[in-house]
Amino acid sequence: MKRPLHPLTLWICAILLAIGVVVLDNAFIALAIVGAVALLVYIRRDGSPWQRSFALSLRIGATILTIRTVVGILIGVPIPGTKLFTLPILDLPSWMPGIRIGGAVTLERLSSSLHEGVIIATMIALFGAATSLTSPHKLLRVTPSFIYEVGLTLVIATSLFPQLATSARRIRNAQKLRGFEKIQLRSIAIPLLEESLSRSLQLAAAMDARGYGMSRKRSRYRPQPWLMRDNFILLLTAAMMIAMVTQ
Amino acid sequence: MITFSNVSLIYPQSTKTILENLSFQIEEGEMVLVMGETGSGKSSLLRLINGLVPHHTGGILAGDISVDGISTRAVKPGSLAHLVGIVGQNPINGFVTDIVEEELAFSMEALNFPPDVMRKRVEEVLDLLSLSALRRRSIATLSGGEQQRVAIGAALVMHPKVLVLDEPTSALDPIAAEEVLSVLHRLVHDLSVTVIIAEHRLERVIQFVDRIIYIEGNGDTSIGTADEILKQSELVPPIVKLARALNLSEIGTSVREVRRQTDHIRNSEYSRPLSSPRSESTAIEISHVSHSYNEKSALSNVSAAINHGEIVAIMGRNGAGKSTLLHSIVGLHAPDSGEIKVNGFDPTLLKGAGRRRAIGYVPQEPSDLLFASSVEEECVLADRNNEITAGSTAALLNRLVPHISMHAHPNDLSEGQRLALVLSIVLSGNPEVLILDEPTRGLDYRAKNLFAIALKEYASQFNRPVLLATHDVELVAELADRVLFLAEGEIVADGTTLDVLLSSPAFAPQVAKVMSPKPWLTVTDVVHALEGSS
Repeated sequence: MKRPLHPLTLWICAILLAIGVVVLDNAFIALAIVGAVALLVYIRRDGSPWQRSFALSLRIGATILTIRTVVGILIGVPIPGTKLFTLPILDLPSWMPGIRIGGAVTLERLSSSLHEGVIIATMIALFGAATSLTSPHKLLRVTPSFIYEVGLTLVIATSLFPQLATSARRIRNAQKLRGFEKIQLRSIAIPLLEESLSRSLQLAAAMDARGYGMSRKRSRYRPQPWLMRDNFILLLTAAMMIAMVTQ
Repeated sequence: MITFSNVSLIYPQSTKTILENLSFQIEEGEMVLVMGETGSGKSSLLRLINGLVPHHTGGILAGDISVDGISTRAVKPGSLAHLVGIVGQNPINGFVTDIVEEELAFSMEALNFPPDVMRKRVEEVLDLLSLSALRRRSIATLSGGEQQRVAIGAALVMHPKVLVLDEPTSALDPIAAEEVLSVLHRLVHDLSVTVIIAEHRLERVIQFVDRIIYIEGNGDTSIGTADEILKQSELVPPIVKLARALNLSEIGTSVREVRRQTDHIRNSEYSRPLSSPRSESTAIEISHVSHSYNEKSALSNVSAAINHGEIVAIMGRNGAGKSTLLHSIVGLHAPDSGEIKVNGFDPTLLKGAGRRRAIGYVPQEPSDLLFASSVEEECVLADRNNEITAGSTAALLNRLVPHISMHAHPNDLSEGQRLALVLSIVLSGNPEVLILDEPTRGLDYRAKNLFAIALKEYASQFNRPVLLATHDVELVAELADRVLFLAEGEIVADGTTLDVLLSSPAFAPQVAKVMSPKPWLTVTDVVHALEGSS
């Protein structure tokens, strides 16, 4: 496998592209960018646990898109145009003027809701891709050391999440096999809470025992160099963003 | 190297003293075993050495502990990081980074070592522990033995003088455990590292250790050579039990020593005991089952039949497909192809009370099933769920472990008590089939013995099958009638415990190694054979 890009490059690219997408405000180009990013993530997959974050971000994006569209159709100011169908209008009290729930759904209203949803989903997918291409742990390694402690706390918090999901599934399965069909929140939450609490304590103890936080300064094993190609890729993305913004 | 002088330890809100007036010295390059029943304070003792107790956990410490001349009372655990390396039972919970190399470098980064020193030391450790092939792998994808080696490596990069390990092999199969222990043996002999290790399965470590610290439940502690301690202790590995049963003049700790003393026994002829006939009615029928996760095959074309009244052990290395097979049998998922019938029913269709009656399942983490705030509440809940007379579950529990406090929180119980609680809850449903996944992790000999008796009773009394996945060879030798041996998702051996265990050197119990080629697996087998002949 080729050496990966500098983690910062990927994150800056994601931010630049996100700016471009928002300013250009074109759903089709946004979708094309998501497609390209998906291809990139697929090519560079290596089976690390963070890899799943792209799929997760797509799912979150899709959920937001759906909610945005439904809300956009139901609530809002009518946009005149081709009428598709009419929903019954809900009567609202007089102190809420200008807001309408239900009513005529026009093609314009539907497309504008969809459009906004796609832009939001694209932003999320871009950051999901950045996370899945460079794990937050790698990003942490290139952050300046004065924010290192804050960063590490965040990383520990986030690295507990995938474990939490696995444990929750394991506990649910165990209880399902006991014949508890209706899974209560309490019966899952208590074993889960106990487990994650003892896990975080163990992690904290391990870090303590390994000398974490003893030295104010901190050296780096295998620092990742900033290469020519990082400059090149950043320039390319910046040019693309400028093209999108000035368009 | 390590000096404890008059050390006593008590935790706040606890009425029991963990350690009382303990004094000992450990020299450089010694390997010392800490043994005792579960909950006797082994972990506390280990964590005292690098100051995690009481700096991290709280607790009142009297007396003084010094490591290489530094008092642990005066400094934080972090300042001992260059001196004491500590490895826990579940290394995965202590890993901070994703990649093997970065994990190894973590301590050095934290203490601001120059990059060239780090590179050199990481290379050394990778070679020493044969980890170089794994250097860029993601830690999550490693096997249990490999993870344990990475954890040891992460401690070794600091060139510590003392290495402390808390049950390092309890989650490992016999082969991976041997891998880890031989690494430790080398560290002690080649690099003069002082190693302190806590372990329940004495049979795995006893031949390597120089001295033993035995923490008895009542607060007494004795320290001495392996021979001295094992002569009197209640917790002994099978090899010492054998020596006691045969009235040997000396207690040996290695197979070789005891073999030398027992030549005369092996050389005489004995009649082979007749195996008792078993019922031939099938309870669990597994036919041509295959299953895969994410395109990775976990089971391929597995067929087996488990009869009524039979205790069957499923063995094999970590990742051989044991858990997948159990999950298929309990009906957690339908297999990709093939069919499983439990007493004629498809297990995936079972629900609610019907499921509790058909299959009793004790999961790998027994505490997954516990969520009430006291033992009593759990028992009452089980009675109500299974519509049986109030108090039945509690009575069952009392027979398994007498004197259990009914008001205790399930989380405060020892491992053995917790397993007994879960077992009695599961058994209160009066299941037709009992299935257990790695039940004896972290149990001492006494708890394991009680547990084995309970399972045998269940199997013989009701003529019902018991199926358990385990790494514990000695337990299998004591308990199981038959062994299914899995490798890479296929059944590679299926036969009586005697045949399967004797044919594999890595999985043979200690008594079998001593008595080879005689077909005896346990001390009871040997005693029976000798009685039969005289």
